[in-house]
Amino acid sequence: MIERYAEIIGENELDSIFKIAEKLKGLSILHVNSTPAGGGVAEILSKLVPLMKELGINTDWKIIRGDPEFFKVTKSFHNSLQNGLGELSQGAFEIYRKWQEINGNELDLDYDVVFIHDPQPAGLITFRKKGKWIWRCHIDISNPYQPVWNFLRGYIQKYDSVIVSSAVFARDDLKNPQFIIPPSIDPLSIKNRDIPEITVKRILHKFDLDPDRPIITQVSRFDRAKDPLGVIRAYKLVKKHADVQLAYVGSPAADDPEGEIVYRETVQAAGDDKDIKLLMLPPNSDLEINAFQRGSIVVMQKSIKEGFGLTVSEALWKKKAVIGGNTGGIPLQIIHGVNGYLVNTPEEAAHYALYLIRQKDIREKLGRAGREHVRRNFLITRELRDYLMVATLTLGA
Amino acid sequence: MYEILEKPANKPFEFYAAYYPPIYAGFKATTIDELIEGIKKVDGFSIFYHVFHPLFSSHVVPEDMSNDFATWIRDELGDRLLAQKVSDIEGKEPRTVENVREDLIKILSEARISRTANKPFYFITCKPVVYNTERVAKSLAEFIDIIASISIRSIAYHFIFRRIIGYEDKNDFSKWIEDNYGLTELSKKLSSLDPQTYTDEEMLREDLLKIFEQEMLLK
Repeated sequence: MIERYAEIIGENELDSIFKIAEKLKGLSILHVNSTPAGGGVAEILSKLVPLMKELGINTDWKIIRGDPEFFKVTKSFHNSLQNGLGELSQGAFEIYRKWQEINGNELDLDYDVVFIHDPQPAGLITFRKKGKWIWRCHIDISNPYQPVWNFLRGYIQKYDSVIVSSAVFARDDLKNPQFIIPPSIDPLSIKNRDIPEITVKRILHKFDLDPDRPIITQVSRFDRAKDPLGVIRAYKLVKKHADVQLAYVGSPAADDPEGEIVYRETVQAAGDDKDIKLLMLPPNSDLEINAFQRGSIVVMQKSIKEGFGLTVSEALWKKKAVIGGNTGGIPLQIIHGVNGYLVNTPEEAAHYALYLIRQKDIREKLGRAGREHVRRNFLITRELRDYLMVATLTLGA
Repeated sequence: MYEILEKPANKPFEFYAAYYPPIYAGFKATTIDELIEGIKKVDGFSIFYHVFHPLFSSHVVPEDMSNDFATWIRDELGDRLLAQKVSDIEGKEPRTVENVREDLIKILSEARISRTANKPFYFITCKPVVYNTERVAKSLAEFIDIIASISIRSIAYHFIFRRIIGYEDKNDFSKWIEDNYGLTELSKKLSSLDPQTYTDEEMLREDLLKIFEQEMLLK
């Protein structure tokens, strides 16, 4: 399987992965997160874990469990870390501690290297018996709600290393080494590989979209951080000038109880416009997402707060010009005017969407630059090597 | 010259390569004074990362600034002239990161900018992860062929990293050529290449190969 990446990244790049993996032969690695599907973390792990196994490293992936009350707490943690505003329910810290203890007692965590992903399972460090532990933070923690961060920092400080997605997210109040590793996409996955045009059209028709009229797409959860209302507003501004359609492609996630509320708000904002499709696809709808991105004239990721925003790289890989919010990891992926546009408001998003709809040559030029930018910087093979290196350095190997 | 190309080396050249995972150094700068303070404080790996690592940045944008400090000064402080000076800082042999650090501090200290940057400069350091590529040159001919095809990570490790960080006073290629073949002219020409000014990794490889061509094939 891993050899199949050679034609994309080149033999030298692939060889470096095999050579660095040899340093970890015979060791065991565990990844822990909070959901088996839905969202970027589960998606990366579903690719990364088999690749690590293929390299001869004994790698496992475990999911913590929790009740709706626990996930409500972790969602409020997530929000308050990303937007700096407090949304804590009463007894939140106790509920968090209770589920760390339940999972800590239930899960076998005795591995040589343990990667804990995001805040939900961060407290498991209390139950470490052996090995080196690395906290992989996929979200923006640069401006957190301080009481939540202070609570979590108590756990994070116990880790041997921390990984953040961008230097912008790094913390001055942590003493652990903070590695900077952007996430990645898998170019061979169903979501990103080339698919026939007829498949794209078939899927667009299935969701009542007309492939012959321009489509603007945003693929992301129904989450306020992704600004679905801003996307609707941008679409409505574009609609005054061009006969466009909007596909907002979301998916439910087990650890996001707020999604349903935001979905209802978005439905209300969309009103009775038949050209707006608000879709809640099941988590395994990768082929559909591939088709939506390929079938779009412009892809948006108009987040107002973002961890990284992998959908940007997905669309860039498909040679689409992307309009992204100037936040989190999006500026790492979009070079303004080179492979897309960075925006701060729905009005700006509408302006560039309209510009791209009208300028085919610019669209194509930006699309080519985008694919190359992703090929060099945001493919899963680069992230795989980065994880191997962080494990190696943390072990002192 | 052609005979020497096939002559076996006394000691074959083993090609290693390295990646440099970035690590947040723990502080940032928003003014020139803070930048100077940071440059004074950081370790040598950080100077290497910010000044020489941009060779690997692999931008799709044509990059006219050859290091991170210069890019930040231009983009966030808006001082193009100072940025150009910092971009063109000398990095060739026998200089090390410590010489580069001194030069940076001197240039920046002479600048009089009181502006605050739009976005901070995040100091990053790194730790090299070195691996054996298992490619070995037993002759100059093999050596040139390998340089032409090996990962640029290997070229940078031997030609830049080990010398600039201070492990060796000369790049590994020049040293091996001199020790095994006594070709001082070729060795000197390689040493005279300043890797700091490159922002395109393949251009560095191309220029190294040009020197081999001029010194070994055309003479």
